[in-house]
Amino acid sequence: MMNEIMTSQPSWLNVLKFTGLGVALILVVILFVTYAILAERKVMAFMQMRPGPNRIGGKLGILQTLADVLKLLLKENITPKSADKLLFLVAPVIAFAPAFMVMAVIPFSENVTFANLNVGVLYYVGISGLSIIGIVAAGWASNNKYSLLGGMRAAAQMISYEIPLVLSLLGVILLTGSMNLNDIIKAQDNVWYIFTQPIAFVIFFIAAIAELNRGPFDLVEAESELVGGFSTEYTGFRWAIFMLAEYFYLFAMSSLITVLFLGGWQPVMFLGFIPGSVWFALKFLFVVFLFLWIRFTFPRIRADQLMELGWKVLLPLALANVFITAIIKEIFFR
Amino acid sequence: MSSSGIVFSIIAICAILGGLMMITLKKVMHMTVAMILTYFSIAALYVLLTAEFVAVAQVLVYSGGITILMVFGIMLTYHKAENRDEEKVSSFRKLITFLSVATLGIVSYFLVAPVDFVAEEIFVGDHTKAIGEILYTNYIIPFELVSILLLVALIGAVLLAKKDKEEANE
Repeated sequence: MMNEIMTSQPSWLNVLKFTGLGVALILVVILFVTYAILAERKVMAFMQMRPGPNRIGGKLGILQTLADVLKLLLKENITPKSADKLLFLVAPVIAFAPAFMVMAVIPFSENVTFANLNVGVLYYVGISGLSIIGIVAAGWASNNKYSLLGGMRAAAQMISYEIPLVLSLLGVILLTGSMNLNDIIKAQDNVWYIFTQPIAFVIFFIAAIAELNRGPFDLVEAESELVGGFSTEYTGFRWAIFMLAEYFYLFAMSSLITVLFLGGWQPVMFLGFIPGSVWFALKFLFVVFLFLWIRFTFPRIRADQLMELGWKVLLPLALANVFITAIIKEIFFR
Repeated sequence: MSSSGIVFSIIAICAILGGLMMITLKKVMHMTVAMILTYFSIAALYVLLTAEFVAVAQVLVYSGGITILMVFGIMLTYHKAENRDEEKVSSFRKLITFLSVATLGIVSYFLVAPVDFVAEEIFVGDHTKAIGEILYTNYIIPFELVSILLLVALIGAVLLAKKDKEEANE
């Protein structure tokens, strides 16, 4: 469907179609965010042996997030007196816009891909790196030492973990011979890359947690030492935009892991009668659950341990993985 | 004007606007944010030429670069200096500046105007593969030289940083 629109003559009707599709996608993702937050709280509650949100919307707390969003919308937007007003306003926008831009390349099923880019993987990594600028800008513009420390930590963490992230992807790209996400899915017809590239998967997953600023790598907003990190001075809906960006990235990163290592919409053997989109959803939800599980079972690591893990463990491992993959490909898959 | 001409104009104006903001704004952080506009517009120009790999590489390299620039800007600059009043500039000096900038503009216009840009055929296909093949056949020696240069810079940076640490211990 998308290919037809992409190759048709440009017209105003197409502008409408593109806008409509974009709005549809953002609504789907916002729906996901609403229930991801609830799921996060419910899973946390389950692991800590307590009921969790159970007042609004029945025992499961189905309407809890909606109530929270309503509260955030009604809250006063405070701009600190000594803040840099312009940058304070612009920073949430810079942080949020790339979070939605990266969704464009992800193939959700056989027919639903918004942009079939030849450099899909690289596009994701490049665009998602832009968000960090918004976070550093927010930390500086707030004119608060905790915010600034949070922003600086975010920058350091991004630099340290983006390199292993990209290098671990190289193994997958080498085996596929393409950076197109659709080609990568097709190359996993028989065996998923989680089995042929297990080291790359582990490195990618750890680096992804660090990129998402989630526990145990959530030093950027470590509440016990930095109050609220870069978003300390933000209130109301501007704060909500930062949180929204974070959960948009959770959606995008889980989709990317599904596509790269779990075969995307490819079905498991003998179960091909179940449609591809269902398979994608199942794998995607499993990856999201993994993120939640890890967040609530590991303690937060120290800043210096974070740097050591990134530079001394993940980076050499990722390099070795690229080297070994290249040799194996040269010998066995020529 | 064709539709691609309109898109090009919008992107080009954004790129120039970013550059102008970069040199006129007072605060380091504002300057770096203006730089994002310029670099992102240039990436958009590459997309317009269907050079998707170069466009994405541009964004990838400069998003990290600008973040580092921001961190250095925060840590290494004197922030009180940003608030000082503008220095008085004599009108004579302003006139001279205007005249020299105008001369530069006119000269470069007459230099560029007679050049006949032949519209080369836009390469359609897998850019990444094409770039890789050319890089590893025709340009392998410059490529290796650049990698050695970068390695030397990397080792130099490590050495410099390490020396500081030892001194701190003493």
